[in-house]
This record gives sequence, structure tokens and C-alpha cells, in this order.
Amino acid sequence: MSIHPTDEVTDTVTGADIRLHFEVQRLYAVEAQLLDQHRYADWLELFAEDLHYWAPVRTNRLRRQQALADGAPGEVAIFDETKASLAWRIRRFDSGMAWAEDPPSRTRHLITNITVRAGEEAGEYVAESAFLCYRNRLEREVDLYAGGRTDVLRREPDDGRLLIARRTILLDQNVLLAKNISTFL
Amino acid sequence: MTSTPVRRPVDRLARVPEPAVDVGPYFDLDHGLVDRTIFGDPALYRQELRRVFAPSWLFLAHESQFVKPGDFFTTYMGEDPVIVTMGKDRRLRAFLNACRHRGMRVCRADAGATKAFTCSYHGWSYDTSGRLVNVPNGEDYPAHFDRDQWGLTEVAQLDTYKGLVFATWNPQAPPLVEALGGMTWYMDAMLDRDPEGTEVVGGVHKWVLEGNWKLAAEQFASDWYHVNISHASALMVMSPTGKGPKTEIVQTPGRQYTDPLGHGHGFPTHPKSRFDDRVVHGHYDYEALRERLGDARVEGPMTTGHATVFPNFSYLPVNGSIRVWHPKGPDRMEVWAWTLVDRSMPDEVKDAQRVYNLRTFGPTGIFEQDDGENWSEVQATAHGFVSGSMTLNYQMGLGLEAEDGVHPGTTGRLYSDGAARGFYARWRDLMNTPAWHEKDTR
Repeated sequence: MSIHPTDEVTDTVTGADIRLHFEVQRLYAVEAQLLDQHRYADWLELFAEDLHYWAPVRTNRLRRQQALADGAPGEVAIFDETKASLAWRIRRFDSGMAWAEDPPSRTRHLITNITVRAGEEAGEYVAESAFLCYRNRLEREVDLYAGGRTDVLRREPDDGRLLIARRTILLDQNVLLAKNISTFL
Repeated sequence: MTSTPVRRPVDRLARVPEPAVDVGPYFDLDHGLVDRTIFGDPALYRQELRRVFAPSWLFLAHESQFVKPGDFFTTYMGEDPVIVTMGKDRRLRAFLNACRHRGMRVCRADAGATKAFTCSYHGWSYDTSGRLVNVPNGEDYPAHFDRDQWGLTEVAQLDTYKGLVFATWNPQAPPLVEALGGMTWYMDAMLDRDPEGTEVVGGVHKWVLEGNWKLAAEQFASDWYHVNISHASALMVMSPTGKGPKTEIVQTPGRQYTDPLGHGHGFPTHPKSRFDDRVVHGHYDYEALRERLGDARVEGPMTTGHATVFPNFSYLPVNGSIRVWHPKGPDRMEVWAWTLVDRSMPDEVKDAQRVYNLRTFGPTGIFEQDDGENWSEVQATAHGFVSGSMTLNYQMGLGLEAEDGVHPGTTGRLYSDGAARGFYARWRDLMNTPAWHEKDTR
């Protein structure tokens, strides 16, 4: 984590900082609404063409081997997606025969604890957030997916929109405590 | 491979035998009938831990997870926690993950490397060959306390088959290769494509399902039938037209192997009924494979398919998914799934297989999502007085099993419950046979 405990809001925070924070917060609120309304094709438009959307598995490791606790690139992952593979997953939902979501689940994505800082490239920002996704399915099935996300956001030169270019999702579970994940995080 | 065994009797104290239920009445397999009670009854569940899981060879891990002495991986055999580790002699061993003092797990990491397994309760410490090497306050134990008598409980037998590590608590179990029986011919279509063998990608997918473990094991043994309906959405997005497979592929011919030891394997034989990744498909030299494995295997289990090695190890030969259905009570299982690749595949082919497997058969996979829905839905209504004791229909393909002259052993049509009937015949026989630990009168 890049946040330092002594980081704080000071007089050096500018109107531009506040505007950026608001912009990111609004982006995530819109994103959550699109997911909860199952508008996945619209949701996909929030992402850049070169997207990498990745959720490694989390393992229990001895404290001296903590560096290995989060799955590395190239290992087994919950999601390891491009924009095209997400589109492929979404086409499945739209087939009318995706029984795991028929009848559809009720979901509520809550996105909070947002911080935004400048990224490595000009026009890029790193946004960290926490998520809690509640899924209620059929009569009384309940699943909770909780974790953190680190996004690289990129401002589009044409229209100034912020697009999500990278997303790393750390789900705070070892054994996934659900029969599947049939939404996105 | 001789070494001083540190194995102990599982229990030296006399045990009160638990009464066993005769499960014969739950089946009429000659007529394809199964009573649904077997999926939800708690007493039957305890009996299957004793008589199905304890005596059988169970899958533990892949050899490639252990490179150096001290490398370990923790898993389960039935509901029993076990550590699999490579000793200083580079030999793989498996131990009950339970301190001999109070029974606490001596290793609570999923995997890693260590010199010793030290219980964090009172500090009893065991080396990687299972020997008890340190007991704090040892001077306070009586003179007859002998550390050599209190090593970790070791499995009775551990062996590998082409990279897959299996073990059993049963000292009287036949050797692994005999327990796999005729299934090895089919398994080799996945394990022996590459002269260098196989390895697993780092990491294991683990997820929990509210369903009896047999629902999944049975399906992987014998159920191609569900593919066209349950996975209609996945077939649709995977077909070149985006509209789903052509009828000739849906009505694809194929065979289903039924092993007398309860294993099963179904596979289409239509050359276009394929579910392999394009990059992986492009990697293979099919002419060389025909020479290596024979036409029947290349045109059969290498096209695609599904398989179960009795009782709870299953795999998808071309998706690279190998998995265990860990029982967690009559109503729950944990799926632990590895991604298998051939060792000599170039890195980009291995990665294509990894990504393809997680997108199809990981817990977010476009096939796996719908399987999870089916099993949990079946289990959710398995406890009604009427619904829980329904007679279920396992009649598909009844009477059509024979030797087909191409594939060894007994096969039936692709669309068949044949291997499920075989699976339950084996389960029934084990459930009705006292296990070695029940006969032991020591």
C-alpha cells in the first residue's frame, strides 16, 4: 500500500484534487449501479481497450513467506481478463441460457475507502478502493465478496473521460465462500 | 524406497464400532434406480468417511509442487487434514496434519517450505519425515515416554501415477496402479501426451459448494448429457458462429468408459466436438500423438471429455482442470482445482491453457458457474421427507454397454448413465464391506 499514515488533507489540497476525487467516486458509483442493474455491456464501456482485469487467488502462507501470499502473475487466478474476454463472458449472460443467473441474483456493490494518486504515466492515476458485494439469490442464498481494488485510471485525450485501464482485485477469502462468482467485482 | 516407517496404528485404544447401514436397498442398478437418500443422510455420510474414503487411494497433489526437500502442501483426505512434504531424502510423504499431543494442526499454511512442523499450541515439533524431534519440558514426561513412538501419523501407502500423487490410510489397499485399473489407458490421454510429462500451474482454485460430493464426482464420471442444456450459454459463445453448435455436433457420437472399480470417462469422438483452446490445439503434433498414444485415444479422450477416478478425483483432459471434491458434510463440498499443462509446452502455450481453464472451469468460469448452480439446487431440496427419498432415474444407456473393440474395457454410448451406475455399484460395495480398520482386532 502506498498510503502513509502521516498523509493527510492539508491546505495544499487543491480544488483540482477534490474534483479528481469526486470524479473517481462518481465513476465507481456509476459502475456499481451498472453492475447491480446487470447492464454489463454498458459496464464494459468504462474500461480501456488494453485492459487487464485480474483477481489472483489468496493463499495462507507462513509469515516469513508472506511475499507469496497473493498469487503471482501467470498463476491460477479468479479472473485474468482482457476486454475481449470480459465481452465473451458478457455475451454468455446475454444468451438467455445462463442458468446460474436465471432467475438473476440481486447484487449490491458498495465501493468505499477511495484514494487517488498520480500514476506513472502522464494522465494516469492509481485509485485504490474497498468493495463489498452482497449477492442474494433465489430464496435465501447469500454470498459476500469483500476485498480491495487497485485501478489504473487513464484520462482519454479525446473526451477527457476517465477509463479503467488496469484493475487488480484482492478478494479477502482463501477458499472462495461461494459456489461461483457470476457477477464482476 | 525403504526407510524406517514412522507410521503408528491410527488408534491404539479400543473403539466402539459405529453401526453400519446396509445401503443395498437404496439401489437397483440393474434397472437404473437410485434412492436420493444417499445424497443427504448424515449417518451414511459418516459411514462413507469410514468405508469409502479411509480405505481408498485419494488424490493429494501433483509431484511438480515439490521441488526441494522441505516443500510442503496441505490438503485433505476425506475430512482429515494432511500435509504432503518432501523429506531430506527427497521422498514424498503424507501425514495427518494433527499434533500427537492435542490434535491441533501442526501446519496452517497452504503451501511453502520448512524444516519442521511445529505445533503452536505446546511446541511439539516434527521434522519433514514426521519424526517428533522436540518436546518442550520433556523432562516432565515419564521415563517410558519415547519420542520415537509419537511421530506424525503417516499414511499407509503413498505412490504416484505419472505425476499425480495419491495416498491411502489402508495398509491392505492394492498398489495404486492396480487400484486405477483399466482407467490408466484413459488417463494417459492427458498425462502422457508429452514425453516429459505434466506439471501444474502455481496456485489452486478453491471454492465451496452446498452440494454432496457425489453429485460432482458422478457427473464427471458419466454426464455428457447435461452439457447441451446446462452449458448452452457457454457453447453458444464458444461456437464459431456465436449461435451454438450445429446439430451434428450436439448429437455427437462418443463413448463412455465404465470401470469395475468405479472410475468413469466420457468423450465425444466427433472431430469437431472440441473444447480445447486454439493455441493449445495448434501446439500439438497430432500425427506424433497418434504414434505415441494410438488413434483411439487421439480421436477419443484427447478431443475433450470428463472423467472421475473413484472416489473424488476428477479431470477434464483437454481443459487442463484436475480437481478434488473434498467432502465437508453430507450437504457441502469444497472444490480444489489445479491447472495441468505439459512440461515441454512453450510458456505462451502453458499460459493459454491456464487462462482458458480459468475462464471456462475456474469458479468464475463460463461452464463452472452453471455446474455450481445445478449441484447446490439439487442439494437444497434433498431433505424433504418426500423429495429426499425419491427414486432417481439412472436408466440412460441401460443394457447398451459392451466391449467396443476400440476402447479397452466396457463402454457405452456417450449419452449414458453407465459410469454413474458403475460409480454407485462401487460405492455400494464399499459401504457394505467392513473396512480394514473395522476388522483389525488389535
